[in-house]
Amino acid sequence: MSVMNMIQALNSAHKVMMERDPSTVVLGEDVGYFGGVFRVTEGLQRDYGKQRCFDAPISETGIVAVAIGMAAYGLKPIAEIQFADYIYPGFDQIVSEAARIRYRSAGEWSLPMVIRSPYGGGIFGGQTHSQSPEALFAHIAGIKTVIPSNPYDAKGLLIAAIEDPDPVVFFEPKRIYNGPFDGFYERPVTPWAKHPAAEVPDGHYRIPLGKAAVVREGGEVTILAYGTMVHVALATAEANGVDAEVIDLRSIVPVDIETIEQSVRKTGRCVVLHEATRTAGFGAELAALVQERCFYHLEAPVARVTGWDTPYPHSMEWAYFPGPVRLGLALKKTLED
Amino acid sequence: MARYEFKLPDIGEGIAEAEIVQWHVKVGDQVTEDQQLADMMTDKATVEMESPVAGKVLEVAGEVGDQIPIGSVLVVIETEGEASAEKARHDSAALADGMVEPTEAQEEAVPSLAEGRRGGDRRQDERRSEQDRRGEERAEPGRRQSERREGERRSDEALGANGKRPSPGDLVGLNPQPEPPGKERLQVLASPAVRARARDLGIDLAQVKSAGDRLRHADLDAYLLYNGGAVGSASRGGAAPRRDEIVKVVGLRRRIAENMQEAKRRIPHFTLVEEYDVTSLEQTRQMMNADRGSHPKLTLLPFLIAAMARTLGDYPQINATYDDDAQIITRSGAVHMGMATQTPNGLMVPVIRNAERRTLWDLASEILRLSDAARTGKAAREDLSGSTFTISSLGPMGGITSTPVINRPEVAIVAVNKVEEKPVVVDGDLEIRKRMNLSLSCDHRVVDGWDAANFMQDLKKLIENPLKLLSA
Amino acid sequence: MSRRTERLNRPALSLHVPEPGARPGDEVDFSHIEIPPAGSVRRPDPHAAASETHDLVTTLVRVLDDEGKAVGPWDPKLDPDTLRRILRDMLLVRVFDDRMYRAQRQGKTSFYMKSSGEEAVAVAGTHALDRDDMTFPTYRQQGILIARDYPLVTMMCQVYSNRGDPLKGRQLPIMYASKAHGFFTISGNLATQYPQAVGWAMASAIAGDSRIASAYIGDGSTAEGDFHAACTFAGVYRAPVILNVVNNQWAISTFSGIAGAELTTFAARAVGYGIAGLRVDGNDALAVYAATLWAADRARANLGPTLIEFFTYRVEGHSTSDDPSVYRPQNAGAHWPLGDPIERLKQHLALHGEWDEARHEALVAELDGEVRAAQKEAERQGTLQSDPFQDIPSMFEEVFAELPWHLREQQAQAVAEAEAKRK
Repeated sequence: MSVMNMIQALNSAHKVMMERDPSTVVLGEDVGYFGGVFRVTEGLQRDYGKQRCFDAPISETGIVAVAIGMAAYGLKPIAEIQFADYIYPGFDQIVSEAARIRYRSAGEWSLPMVIRSPYGGGIFGGQTHSQSPEALFAHIAGIKTVIPSNPYDAKGLLIAAIEDPDPVVFFEPKRIYNGPFDGFYERPVTPWAKHPAAEVPDGHYRIPLGKAAVVREGGEVTILAYGTMVHVALATAEANGVDAEVIDLRSIVPVDIETIEQSVRKTGRCVVLHEATRTAGFGAELAALVQERCFYHLEAPVARVTGWDTPYPHSMEWAYFPGPVRLGLALKKTLED
Repeated sequence: MARYEFKLPDIGEGIAEAEIVQWHVKVGDQVTEDQQLADMMTDKATVEMESPVAGKVLEVAGEVGDQIPIGSVLVVIETEGEASAEKARHDSAALADGMVEPTEAQEEAVPSLAEGRRGGDRRQDERRSEQDRRGEERAEPGRRQSERREGERRSDEALGANGKRPSPGDLVGLNPQPEPPGKERLQVLASPAVRARARDLGIDLAQVKSAGDRLRHADLDAYLLYNGGAVGSASRGGAAPRRDEIVKVVGLRRRIAENMQEAKRRIPHFTLVEEYDVTSLEQTRQMMNADRGSHPKLTLLPFLIAAMARTLGDYPQINATYDDDAQIITRSGAVHMGMATQTPNGLMVPVIRNAERRTLWDLASEILRLSDAARTGKAAREDLSGSTFTISSLGPMGGITSTPVINRPEVAIVAVNKVEEKPVVVDGDLEIRKRMNLSLSCDHRVVDGWDAANFMQDLKKLIENPLKLLSA
Repeated sequence: MSRRTERLNRPALSLHVPEPGARPGDEVDFSHIEIPPAGSVRRPDPHAAASETHDLVTTLVRVLDDEGKAVGPWDPKLDPDTLRRILRDMLLVRVFDDRMYRAQRQGKTSFYMKSSGEEAVAVAGTHALDRDDMTFPTYRQQGILIARDYPLVTMMCQVYSNRGDPLKGRQLPIMYASKAHGFFTISGNLATQYPQAVGWAMASAIAGDSRIASAYIGDGSTAEGDFHAACTFAGVYRAPVILNVVNNQWAISTFSGIAGAELTTFAARAVGYGIAGLRVDGNDALAVYAATLWAADRARANLGPTLIEFFTYRVEGHSTSDDPSVYRPQNAGAHWPLGDPIERLKQHLALHGEWDEARHEALVAELDGEVRAAQKEAERQGTLQSDPFQDIPSMFEEVFAELPWHLREQQAQAVAEAEAKRK
């Protein structure tokens, strides 16, 4: 066990897997000598050589596509897209290729690959360093989408993603790389060291993809969240004295429908929380699932608390970010209904 | 043509709302001046509402069972004559804010009206464009649709980026499912969980009254409570089982239900039963009836009322009303005797005023008058309010004992049980006597058992000694 | 690797991963850089066939020699006032960058990017264009705005995302936009502007206009597919566009070898697309000016695009978030053999008696005063830290021309939320 922040935990996952499995390779912009702009791949090139961890040209198309080729050969590439906001040139390769190669070859090829990318806002990154495009990937048949919320999960989920036989998009909420940001932006940042989930085993362990965690038990309302928003949900429930059950989905495809159903049937109320834009966001899918499966248990409409349907504005970051006030208002309304 | 709105006047004593118990008109009917429109019931009485104008009924405010706030529009009547634009706009706004929305046909017919609102009240604009959208969903052909789009676009401009921005008051987005006004409101609004529960219980939500903007679990609870006894018993014999019948609790039945519920919920009742020998009283009554002349026939009731009214003079703590919200007891100087009366619609309590001052004959004729009035629904409001004590008598069907429910805000009630001939030991000998029980329920918050017992004993002195009663 | 097949008696393959010549702790070594003498490269006629430029893509167009003399066929023979203006603009960019970098370090804004050492590319290039030609810059061409007299205060307001920010606080600092200055809105996504510039130029041609477009891209971003699209479209339609590749040799920590610079030059990309190509000393303001003018003339003559590689060096970090000493020797920029563009132009003017140290010092002091005054004024309109742009309803405007219902709703929600926060 070591105390790790999320960057260190992700780094540890890489190292564990590169140690265990020589077919694991890492590529991406600035991931080699430098160790990545967020330092997640630090030391990998030094320890495992340039052939297993190397800088890529600035071409997300190329990064994703060569990763596909490597996976088709039988390696387990871990491709880093420097910011999720930059993933779109690689989108065609993900959507049309990575997602379908197993299917269209009737299982002849499969792609055990991971596309990692820091995502989300809260760092004054403006429109091109703040986006949360998870719903675009959740929409694609054949892609798993995983989003951790703490160091322990980050490592266990990344290992599971690397070992998964299919392509996994792994979004890392960069706002909580260094500490569990809860949306109270005026308060000082708490480092991970003070959080129990910063206790991370040094070796190999897996957190199965598709298994959510109930991070706070409650009876009045279920909050479905992932990534940074898990901490916003916890802090908001606490601050408002709401008996909320907070579920950290951890992966959105596959999503842990059992845990969701169980909770919403218990509470009868559900608030879906994500930072991404609202329209056709993953919250829409969650709300649909909840109403399909828990309709007659619902006491109130399923509420969505999300970023606005605008690009992420630089100076009005906190007016955009779905923080404790937005969630608090939604909880209040949901509980009144 | 003009639109006349008939607003529900205050028909009670500062009441806030009244219930529609019956409509005498429907939309499209021609009405004449003074024609009956609807029967509205308040806490105390059912009142006939009559039309002040002649014309055609355009809209009615609700259906039987609905509560209508005083001052809101009950009926809209199209009258002959000119309407001023000012009046029309006012009317229309009131409609949108109140309960009914003009039909699309009317919107089309009064274009200036829509224009006026678009420039003015933003909420109206939003409603309008919402309505437009709904209209579009109903897929109208060509021309009107493009007109709608144009209208929507213009209303957007009014809201758009031209410096016109929302204020915190514009919480349109905070209520993503605001109940649409108008026709939609007639649908039952309820959460899926409430619907599921109603379905499991076999309750038709349309029959359940809502205390708020939509049905909640509490409304179901209330419905179940009121209707608990109404769930029919299984039919006997080989006949096919009778189908469940849903009975909507409206009108007087609902009043009774609410009053009884309040009485039992708030008042800690205790009931004292005493046996009275009415052999002498019955003899006296027969004597008096034998030569009553033009007087109505005396039943036992006027005797009992007289006895109680006189005894109550010594028990002001029992002849009282208790305002438990204000924590104030009003000990009444006079005895206004409520008389529980079964009517075709249910239980009513007409009141004999100043019962303590009335003779037996006087009481007898007043009892007759009041029970007739109550049964025929002609009781005046003052005949139905202001009692200080209530007596409930079912005559020969009065059972051997009962636990009457106090008629709030009174603090006591007496139920009269049936008269029976019984073998009784009198001075060591067995005699056949006419015996009767009286069951007295008291509000234990303000009446002590001691007082109740003494009252019952003092009452006995009058009932068992009719001479005393007649001379008192 | 475990998958290696053992049955074939062939040598094992291994992956080549380029590596820069020096890492932290190593001696700075630029000896591998081939620098032809100034004035040695021929200048084809701007109307010549594209293929006539193809021997120029691996050499280096230079005008200023080591003494500061302008030599050879590419000397644009600019008058001293124009030269002083270019010098002034480059200096102003440097002073401005310095103030804003400090402002970021003082917490007044979130982010900044300097263009130290590369000032000539944007400034001299812009002076060679017509004022109404359209530019599609990256985040390191602030020199275009300076050369086109964009108000310093407004630039700073954008950097501060304050009340005076014409972009309403929406963009990351330095992601300017100004239609009036022919400066296309900057994207944080790389290379996207490159084919867009081609489209703008195609439109100018479709419309029978005479204006041309000038697009910028970094060496690293040439790896993006957008670069390929731009070159293909520009060549196919002979779009009146200048395709500038600013090869400053570093993409954050990644050296240009990862973008293919070990194999050939970036200018050489032109050959494959059949378009004109030039490789130019980017720290030589006169060479930058001359090459740009050549390409502009060619474009205006409806002869299509020119791809120009400006060979330069990113002297400082990628941005305020970057520390180059982690991946390359410290002070590497000081050893860059092509020198500093400001010093070289200053030397040239001084050589002809059109400039001297005293005037230079006075100019630096004047520009410093100008920038400080502008900074004060900008800060009166707030900084990201103290008083950022916070007109919440405006956040929803310009997503579309008009607000659809859902944005209207969200706008009202956001206003209500701000109200709730105030409580």
